[in-house]
Amino acid sequence: MTADHPIVQLSGVSKHFSGTRALEGVDFACFGGAIHGILGENGAGKSTLIKIISGVLQPDSGEMRVNDAPVSFSNPTQAVASGIVCIFQELSLVPDLSVADNISLSSPPRRFGLIDPRAQRRRAEKLLARIKCEDIDPNALVRELSLSRRQMVEIAKALGKDPKVLILDEATSALTSRDVETVYELLADLKAQNVASLFISHRMHEIEQLCDTLSVFRNGQHIQTFPKGTHSDGEIVRLMIGREVDAQYPPRPAPAPRPEHLRIEDLAWENQLNGINLSIGKGEIVGLGGLDGQGQKELLLGLFGVLRGMSGRVSIAGKPCRPKSPAEAKQGALRIALVPEDRKTEGLMLAMSIADNLMAASYDRVSDGPFINAAKAKRAVEDGIAKLRIKLGSPEDPVATLSGGNQQKVVIAKWLMTDPDVILLNDPTRGIDVGTKQEIYRLMRDLADQGKTILLYSSDYAELIGCCDRVMVMYDGEIVASLSGDAITEEAIVAASLNVSDTQTMPGLPHA
Amino acid sequence: MKLAFPSLKSEDKPILIASAFILVILSVGTAYTVSTQGSAPLLSPNYLLQQLQTGSFLGIVAAGMMVVILLGHIDLSVAWTMTAAAMMATTVGGDLAIPVGIAIGVGVGLVNGFGVAYLRVPSMIFTLGVDSVLRGLMVAHTGGFAPQDAATPLMRTLASSRLMGIPSAIFVWLAVSIVIAVMLKRTAFGRQIYVTGNREMAAYLSGVRTRRVILGSFVVSGVCAAMAGVMLAGYSARAFQGMGNAFLLPAIAAVVIGGTRILGGQGRYAGTLVGVILIVLLNSVLSIMQMPEAGRQVIYGAVIILMLLVYGRGGKVHS
Repeated sequence: MTADHPIVQLSGVSKHFSGTRALEGVDFACFGGAIHGILGENGAGKSTLIKIISGVLQPDSGEMRVNDAPVSFSNPTQAVASGIVCIFQELSLVPDLSVADNISLSSPPRRFGLIDPRAQRRRAEKLLARIKCEDIDPNALVRELSLSRRQMVEIAKALGKDPKVLILDEATSALTSRDVETVYELLADLKAQNVASLFISHRMHEIEQLCDTLSVFRNGQHIQTFPKGTHSDGEIVRLMIGREVDAQYPPRPAPAPRPEHLRIEDLAWENQLNGINLSIGKGEIVGLGGLDGQGQKELLLGLFGVLRGMSGRVSIAGKPCRPKSPAEAKQGALRIALVPEDRKTEGLMLAMSIADNLMAASYDRVSDGPFINAAKAKRAVEDGIAKLRIKLGSPEDPVATLSGGNQQKVVIAKWLMTDPDVILLNDPTRGIDVGTKQEIYRLMRDLADQGKTILLYSSDYAELIGCCDRVMVMYDGEIVASLSGDAITEEAIVAASLNVSDTQTMPGLPHA
Repeated sequence: MKLAFPSLKSEDKPILIASAFILVILSVGTAYTVSTQGSAPLLSPNYLLQQLQTGSFLGIVAAGMMVVILLGHIDLSVAWTMTAAAMMATTVGGDLAIPVGIAIGVGVGLVNGFGVAYLRVPSMIFTLGVDSVLRGLMVAHTGGFAPQDAATPLMRTLASSRLMGIPSAIFVWLAVSIVIAVMLKRTAFGRQIYVTGNREMAAYLSGVRTRRVILGSFVVSGVCAAMAGVMLAGYSARAFQGMGNAFLLPAIAAVVIGGTRILGGQGRYAGTLVGVILIVLLNSVLSIMQMPEAGRQVIYGAVIILMLLVYGRGGKVHS
């Protein structure tokens, strides 16, 4: 901390998304000439924080100051004008434009009012040279570059905006180790020029190596900010987790031998899944843990017949299972159901009625020949509504009129109407209220007790601990830890997720 | 931002507005004829039946078009599907004429559906290409002249005879309407059209075989266009080049005026019926008023745009 006055200061900033809080009364400051690491679990509010700082989102309440002057950005361009530049996790490059075009996209050098391609090219060369990427041709199309090169172009683009505050959101996750070194040097450079860097990474060792100051976020709140080196890894992990448990889980039954139902061997797909081996019994709930994007979603989609070109073997009840589409996955001997990740685009037809949404997966069950049997359909819809206690006015209302929790119940009810044997759930409780969460937990246990096989991915570790008989932690497309019974603790899951293995709280964990 | 989905009855609003507009057209037209000729031919049942008879060809095309638009796709090949079906039907002649015409529609629908659903070519491009191919084939088949073969008696009967004083073409339109309306409302295939048109990803992940739904819908559209073509040939006693050209835009306009979302997923068949009647009456009132062709085109286009402005913009929010 070299400066007395913070460059960016937030006080009492809150942000809510349709009922769930993303940030609550956050005070935060960052200083010039410092590299500031931000830590937190999935959904802790890190992304919302940087989106507010960089003008992508507007806070519901609270104040933000830049160099002591209050500001309110209504778009990222205004933030850039104040010197706040963000390198987002999702790449923001236009694939069909050249590298030089992309780097100068928002304010290209002009001559007589037209873009000056030569000046643009020289500018790109200079910026790329600064991050030692002379190998990238400024005239090449971005789509022709590898992911790590694209990320470097993204960094060059950000540098071109002359940042006073540079935000890196997982900007190193796609880079080669040589590039990572370059980025470290660059950050050190910028630090000497009194630029403030905000660094978000899931790699603990990176943060330790790089940052001067660390801030921990949890549940939308700023927990603590401290200089590097004052807390051990174990203490940091505990700060990230906290101690509060805000949901009640049904009791976990004693471990019992269960007949195997779903068996996965050497499952691989592109480089998202790298040899998954997993066996799940009837009546068992197995959780998938780990950070976002480690292959959990791909595993679920792969089992459901969505992905092309998978290798490996999957069997259900001893018979090979290779559905080519969700339509095949839900039928016959497989009877698989998937509650997808994004209920608004993948789970529901928002403009259609609740009844239509409920029946979307089971028309064959309510039809006689090609015709829908109105009586059967009505009974099925009423059943689904009653089973999940969906709160609604009329089944003919558009599903968009329901609350988030009730919408998710519609998605789950839709699949229960197909009477599945294997239920895959992709983060089913994200963004829904605690009451509905508890109902879903109880429902999952009830379904397991009826002999269903359940595979659950959740970004909420507490949920994995509360609900699952076993938890598989994934990292980089592989299962790096298998936890069961009392070994399922937040410390163990978080440590395995970050792929660090040196905290004292996790005995017997395999080093991955 | 206001609620994206204001009320349960939002689908009925366009139907009500369009129906009201039909009354406006009729009263304006009648006022005109009363003041200039002192009579009200627009309100005579015979005149209205005759309008519905000419409207039935458009109505059948629009019924098929609606199914495709409900998916968020479009079928720009209906014009030459009509012509091709009519020409092949008259060429073959005899008892096989109508089945051959319908088969042409099935074939064109399968090609369109395959291109859009399996090859993933945007329907706007693919069906336009198919339209052009059909035109080329028909020019090759006829040498560019109107074919001399006449429509079969059955075709003429279906298109221009009267049954109990009512043109039989209207019965055919009615039958097609019932089949389409029942299909959309009461069959799994029909509901899957809405589901797929609303959110194809969610439909696919619900285990709907979305590609088959798209294929099937294009076949429905092809068959409807072919039926309309065969009947139009019966009405005119023979097939001729470009006989379907005047139907493409009115068919799309009728569907959209009837409240079907051009991006798919929402719409009622009753709306398409009302839309067809509106367009037919608008055309005939303009011709009664002896509006010159240029003015007719301008008013016709302006009315379509106006109708869409009134209600077509509201329901765009979809996320």
